[in-house]
Amino acid sequence: MATASWVCLLLPLASAIAITAAGTAIPRRIAAYVSTLTTMGAFVAAIVAFADMAGKSAPHRGAATTSWTWLSAGPYHFGLTLLTDQLSIVMMLIVTGVGSLIVAYSVGYMDGEDEERRFFAYMSLFVFSMLLLVQGGNLLLLLAGWGMVGLSSYLLIGYYQERESAIKAAKKAFVMNAFGDATMALALFLLIQHTGKLDYAGVFAGSPHGGAVANLIALGLLGGAVAKSAQIPLHTWLPDAMEGPTPVSALIHAATMVTAGVYLIVRCHPLFENAYVIADLAAGLGAATLLMAGLIALVQTDIKRVIAYSTMSQIGYMFVGAGLGAYPNAMFHLMTHAFFKGLLFLAAGIAIHAVVGEQDIRKLAGVGKLMPFTKWVFLAGSLALVGIFPFAGFFSKDAIIAAALDRGWYGDVIYAACLAGAFLTGIYAFRLFFIVFTGEPSAFAREHFHAHHGQEGPISMLWTVGALGVLSVVGGLLQFAPIWHPLTTWLDPVDHPIAEATSTQEWVTSALAILIGLAGIGVAWTMYGAKRIKVPRAVPLFEKKFYWDELYDVIWYRMGDLVARGFYALVEAPLIGGSIAAVTGVVGLGSRELSVAQNGLVRSYVLALAGGLAVLTVVFLAVR
Amino acid sequence: MHGPEIQWYVVLSGMLFATGALGVMLRRNPLIILLSVEIMLNSANLLLIAMSRLRGGEDGQIFAISVMAVAASEVVVGLGLIVAMGRRNVELDVDKLRTLRG
Repeated sequence: MATASWVCLLLPLASAIAITAAGTAIPRRIAAYVSTLTTMGAFVAAIVAFADMAGKSAPHRGAATTSWTWLSAGPYHFGLTLLTDQLSIVMMLIVTGVGSLIVAYSVGYMDGEDEERRFFAYMSLFVFSMLLLVQGGNLLLLLAGWGMVGLSSYLLIGYYQERESAIKAAKKAFVMNAFGDATMALALFLLIQHTGKLDYAGVFAGSPHGGAVANLIALGLLGGAVAKSAQIPLHTWLPDAMEGPTPVSALIHAATMVTAGVYLIVRCHPLFENAYVIADLAAGLGAATLLMAGLIALVQTDIKRVIAYSTMSQIGYMFVGAGLGAYPNAMFHLMTHAFFKGLLFLAAGIAIHAVVGEQDIRKLAGVGKLMPFTKWVFLAGSLALVGIFPFAGFFSKDAIIAAALDRGWYGDVIYAACLAGAFLTGIYAFRLFFIVFTGEPSAFAREHFHAHHGQEGPISMLWTVGALGVLSVVGGLLQFAPIWHPLTTWLDPVDHPIAEATSTQEWVTSALAILIGLAGIGVAWTMYGAKRIKVPRAVPLFEKKFYWDELYDVIWYRMGDLVARGFYALVEAPLIGGSIAAVTGVVGLGSRELSVAQNGLVRSYVLALAGGLAVLTVVFLAVR
Repeated sequence: MHGPEIQWYVVLSGMLFATGALGVMLRRNPLIILLSVEIMLNSANLLLIAMSRLRGGEDGQIFAISVMAVAASEVVVGLGLIVAMGRRNVELDVDKLRTLRG
């Protein structure tokens, strides 16, 4: 099992290095196939590790392997340790499974790009970073993976490096993620100070229960999670990250990046249970994010941005689950979300690819009529997103919502917010579907639609989307909380849930959520499908994304600018500039005064010499 | 040891030096200034030789000969400059040559 874990981790890295080292020596296609095959190989290795693990009894499933001690400082030793247990194997399967589908899809999507090799090297690096993050056996490796995920996302979001907006988006993502990295690092310092360890078991055993320190540790970790998972208040990078190619968006949203925050909370749940205030804060932030992102998604006109906001909203659900203590439910939603969000992005990518890269839904309107396959898989993804039986989202989302009922009045408030979010999800998901995939094609879509050899896209794009479509339909059957729950049982030794809904609550919530989701779909249908009622004018608050960018502009840019100007006026100009001016002034004045002595009269110089000599003589004679 | 006492030499040398220095300081004709400089050099030579005789060695006299050689070359340069000035009809007055003023 240890070997399989190492193979799983190192294959994508080897691919990234090989493609980089080979450079132009290999054709572009070969780079694409190397990246695809290694990611699939990593998936196979993950399956092997899983099969090996499933054969053992529950208490013996987790195993850590250390290759060598990576860092040792005084009494601290941090090894290059891989921890393969029930939680990380689930993440490994999701990351490599969904990741390999997305990389395979890119083979068709990126065909003909000038810098395919660079793209696929980055993709492999991204998968490796995420695997390092989930497989790392101590918090230091997790932090290393955490930072590398940030780096890879920076590289891929800015992939179109000739486009200024892409570069800006990449920088924004990197800076916001670096903020999260910093708070996480601070939390790790506190952990080292108080426990002297960074491996999970040692940290969980030794960390303080309650009190300011426990809260600070959890808060630092939450900062990292919030930044990586794009939750309020560090979420503004995610919509901008749509500047990258569509497979990158799919990879960031479905397999690799944004789920890291949820994984962190689920992985470090003892630390959050020691600081229940912070755990509740995580759930609160998740609930706020899922509502806000749902509202913003209602009015966006870029197909990828709508899906991006829906990701924020769905991750909000996962934060609710993880924060309230329904860890298996959060992980389950993470998995189903990976399926249907990957599907939505990749299906949208087919449409974008077929209509010369257009992303505006008003121009894409009605394109579904020209591409029936994409239309049906997108419909499956949308139904899974809204959570309609029997699609994947139904099973996972409702379980999270129901679990909120186990946590008193606070849980009840969040429960209401989640149901409201489900209503919004129904509206925005099907607004997108009805506008883009139903009705008559717009003039633009008709004019620019290009079929690919009579198909809707290259074969590599179609089969991957089909596979994700199947997963989105049946993936949820893995677990239906009131009746059977293999995932909860599987994860129980690592993540014992502290919030569980009763069977009645599950049934009632499921019924409610379906009704509410259907109501949302109904609203979307009357407005955008049947066009029975006029679409209300977009609220500026939503169009401006709740003014977060403007707020940050005021707080950070303007304030920084103001402080800098203030320091310039108060410190730099008078002290530094002034001191230099004073030095030159004094020297200049002194020289001007002294230059009077240089009158050019040689005789006066001689007189001065002789006078000086006389004075010296007298002095020497007198002093002796 | 014959001849006057050493004090006489020192006093004569001092008087010669003062004469030369006063000449450099007071006169404005470069030719006279050059002559005054020569007088100062020779006063130093006189003292060197006198002291050398007093001590009974020859090194002072050797110094004096070196000074004479240097003085001779100096006079060549100085006189050359003055002649050049005269040929260009520059007024021979050092107070008029004030381009070195700061």
